[in-house]
Amino acid sequence: MRRGRGAAEAAVAGPGPRVPGRPSPPPPPPRPGEMEPVPGRRWQKVLYERQPFPDNYVDQRFLEELRKNVHARRYRYRAVVFQSGAVVQQLCSVCVFVVTWWYMDAGTLSPQELFAAALVSSLLGYILFDAVDGGAGRRESGRTRWADLKSTLVFTAFTYGFSPVLKTLTESISTDTIYAMSALMLLGHLIFFDYGANAAIVSSTLSLNMAIFASVCLASRLPRSLHAFVVVTFAMQIFALWPMLQKKLKAQTPRCYVGVTVLFALAALAGLATVSSVGAVLFASLLLAISCLCPYCLIRLQLLKDNIHGPWDEAEIKEDLSRFLM
Amino acid sequence: MGRASGERRCREYCSSKIVAMVLKVFFPSCCSSAESGILIGRWISEQNSAVILAVVHFPFIPVQVKQYLSEVQRVTKVSVSVLGSWSNSKQEKEESLSEFLEDLGTIFSHEPWIQISKEGDSKFWSCSTLQKHCNNPKEEEIILVYYDQRKVMLSHLHPPLDTATSTDHKADDASKLSAIFDTVAKSKVLFMTDRYDDGPIKLTHWQSDGVEASIIVELMKQASVPACMLLTFLVSLVSGICRSRVLTFWPLSFLWSKLSTCEQLGHRLQHLQVISSNKKAQTQTQLMRKANIFVSLLIDVALGILLMSWLYRKNRIGHLADTLIPMADHVAEELQDLLQWLMGAPAGLKMNRALDQVLGRFFLYHIHLWISYIHLMSPFIEMILWYVGLSACLGLTVALCILSDIIALLTFHIYCFYVYGARLYCLKIYGLSSLWRLFRGKKWNVLRQRVDSCSYDLDQLFIGTLLFTILLFLLPTTALYYLVFTLLRLLVVIVQGLIHLLVDLIDSLPLYSIILRLCRSYRLAAGVKFRVLEQRDGKPLRLLMQINPLSYGSVVQTYRLPTYSCYPKDSWASLCKKLFLGELIYPWKHKGEKQD
Repeated sequence: MRRGRGAAEAAVAGPGPRVPGRPSPPPPPPRPGEMEPVPGRRWQKVLYERQPFPDNYVDQRFLEELRKNVHARRYRYRAVVFQSGAVVQQLCSVCVFVVTWWYMDAGTLSPQELFAAALVSSLLGYILFDAVDGGAGRRESGRTRWADLKSTLVFTAFTYGFSPVLKTLTESISTDTIYAMSALMLLGHLIFFDYGANAAIVSSTLSLNMAIFASVCLASRLPRSLHAFVVVTFAMQIFALWPMLQKKLKAQTPRCYVGVTVLFALAALAGLATVSSVGAVLFASLLLAISCLCPYCLIRLQLLKDNIHGPWDEAEIKEDLSRFLM
Repeated sequence: MGRASGERRCREYCSSKIVAMVLKVFFPSCCSSAESGILIGRWISEQNSAVILAVVHFPFIPVQVKQYLSEVQRVTKVSVSVLGSWSNSKQEKEESLSEFLEDLGTIFSHEPWIQISKEGDSKFWSCSTLQKHCNNPKEEEIILVYYDQRKVMLSHLHPPLDTATSTDHKADDASKLSAIFDTVAKSKVLFMTDRYDDGPIKLTHWQSDGVEASIIVELMKQASVPACMLLTFLVSLVSGICRSRVLTFWPLSFLWSKLSTCEQLGHRLQHLQVISSNKKAQTQTQLMRKANIFVSLLIDVALGILLMSWLYRKNRIGHLADTLIPMADHVAEELQDLLQWLMGAPAGLKMNRALDQVLGRFFLYHIHLWISYIHLMSPFIEMILWYVGLSACLGLTVALCILSDIIALLTFHIYCFYVYGARLYCLKIYGLSSLWRLFRGKKWNVLRQRVDSCSYDLDQLFIGTLLFTILLFLLPTTALYYLVFTLLRLLVVIVQGLIHLLVDLIDSLPLYSIILRLCRSYRLAAGVKFRVLEQRDGKPLRLLMQINPLSYGSVVQTYRLPTYSCYPKDSWASLCKKLFLGELIYPWKHKGEKQD
């Protein structure tokens, strides 16, 4: 529900200034006797002049400045559904990761197979990443291929080196604790993920770190250190690299992005269905709710919006003051 | 309680009288039976009081008296003058004598001229003043205060300790009193003249009982000069050896600074230097300090020799050595058991098995090394103890310090464990705290001393989180080892701390001052109290001044000898914080050193 709103807000170009939750109560209406104590003088809304009116006096013009729903936007259903794709993608990523881990834990998926698949998909994604915008993004960031290679080497070397430690890390801790911790961490990953909304809660660093923590926790339950190594690498790909590619796809080729999202969601569903059919049904309904029902609710509820603005609002600095800093 | 309140009442009485400009005459009680003569003393004009020091008997030649007085004034630097006359008539009053006494006032001009006379059988003294240059001869009230000249001369007035908090009134009183005490103490030379000396002037004042009784003291004084010189030579020789280059290069000097015995010996050496110095003590405080050090040293050495005589009888050293080795063995075995317990699942805690095994084996190997070292040492232990026990003749404190050092050496393995555990734990805590900031996407800004948000690279995040997870899951194991060894270390530290408290107590207790307070309580005065002797209309009020001794608490507080050992500077809260963060704690001194 929350994700849907965030994405929907992101659908319009940036959120506007915040609407105050409760407007201040309007001042009491002037009593008839005090309407015009001095016929000759008009009331002025200033404090620096002495006027023959009581302090709480306001005249008829007060409510003229009342305005309603200044920042309310009208959303288009298609756009909101398109933006909710980011949430669907992330949910699917978590689902795919958990299903993969499940297979590894059960022994039906060998680490070599997973590693090969992950390697191939990473290479494909890497090529795609540059191909989508014709290398414009790379030129802008100024990141060399040598740096990419170095990062890759660091990932693999550290993960491989630490995988024996990872394997024995949580031996004495009960499996349920680990599951609970991983679930909590993955939930945190979903909550703090940067879906494009501009909110204080969003922290892509924390989100990624929580995902890595969860993957390390889960990897430590696997039977061998090679398993742990492959799972952590896979987690890195799916939680760090895959969202970067998605963002680029979404910006450059929206159509292709929709297709990829649908395919990915279907793949995740299929994977989940092999583990648990009830889970698959629930997950499918969740995805549908997020991508179809939540945007609909948002648009319907938008009609009920009733915000009033007026001179009683708090002052708000709208200008960019950074030029004064010089 | 009652005495204190009485004193306060008297003081208040006096000070209130001073406001009304009462003339106070401090009269030495030993002169109350002196023959008639003139009064010599000091006039303190700002207090309107006269301190009488002696009585000069008739007959005398005024010029000689004046000469004598100027000589006294030169030596003592107290403005001594003739203050008045004194008549002690056993028979009925003679008119001529009183007239003569009044005439004396014209020879020795003093303003006011005090006339004190005592009738033969009456208890009441009459006292009057003569003011020649004053036009209004108003009747001034006079208070006669008797004081014990000897006690006042010998006593050392201590200003109230809480001068900052006390009112001006009280401080004022104290300064007035100290002026009187100073006057009496400074005119010590005046009292040196013997009763049997045939001088041109006959004086009455307090006198010592003579020098016959103190021949031994004189002999000791004579002997003390060469003894002090010899001592100085020896002390300078020893300190020269200690300061020589061979003993101060790096590892040895480090070793010396860690051994509490060396510290104690150095401290005692300083004390010896203070005692044997040829310079005369300038002030009362320095004198007391010297005496305190001397008595403390003497008692320390006496106790040490007592201990030694007990130790070397009936082969007690041998028994001690026989029990020491099994005890060390026993401690090592207990530690081994503890480690075995920790290597299992202690108290059902979830520990990381691999790390647990590694740490446990590491510590077990250490204990194994330790036991073999002890066994290597065991044949020599008795000999070492025998020689070390000889050092008890240097004082009980030295023996106690050696005991503390032996404990430190025998529990060296515990110290090692503690350091390993603390270092490991400290590393983890610091790593975790900084990685936790990374986990949240923050970092510590050193320049602004605050936590800032920071955007990290992907690889930094990955490695940081990986390490964070690993450290977090390994923390309980390390923390448990740290906790156990810290508790053991604290036990040892507490035992050593108690020993050092005892040593400090012996070192710092001002025994001489306490004995002085016990036997000659007037020597350390905290103030005075007045007792009313007689009060009758028309006659001067007569008071007896008695010295209030200093309380034992303030004696210890004032004359406490400084000690070398550094007390723990941090409070309990900071100690707990240090323990939590795994920083090494040294509550007393830096202890524990490598044997080889």
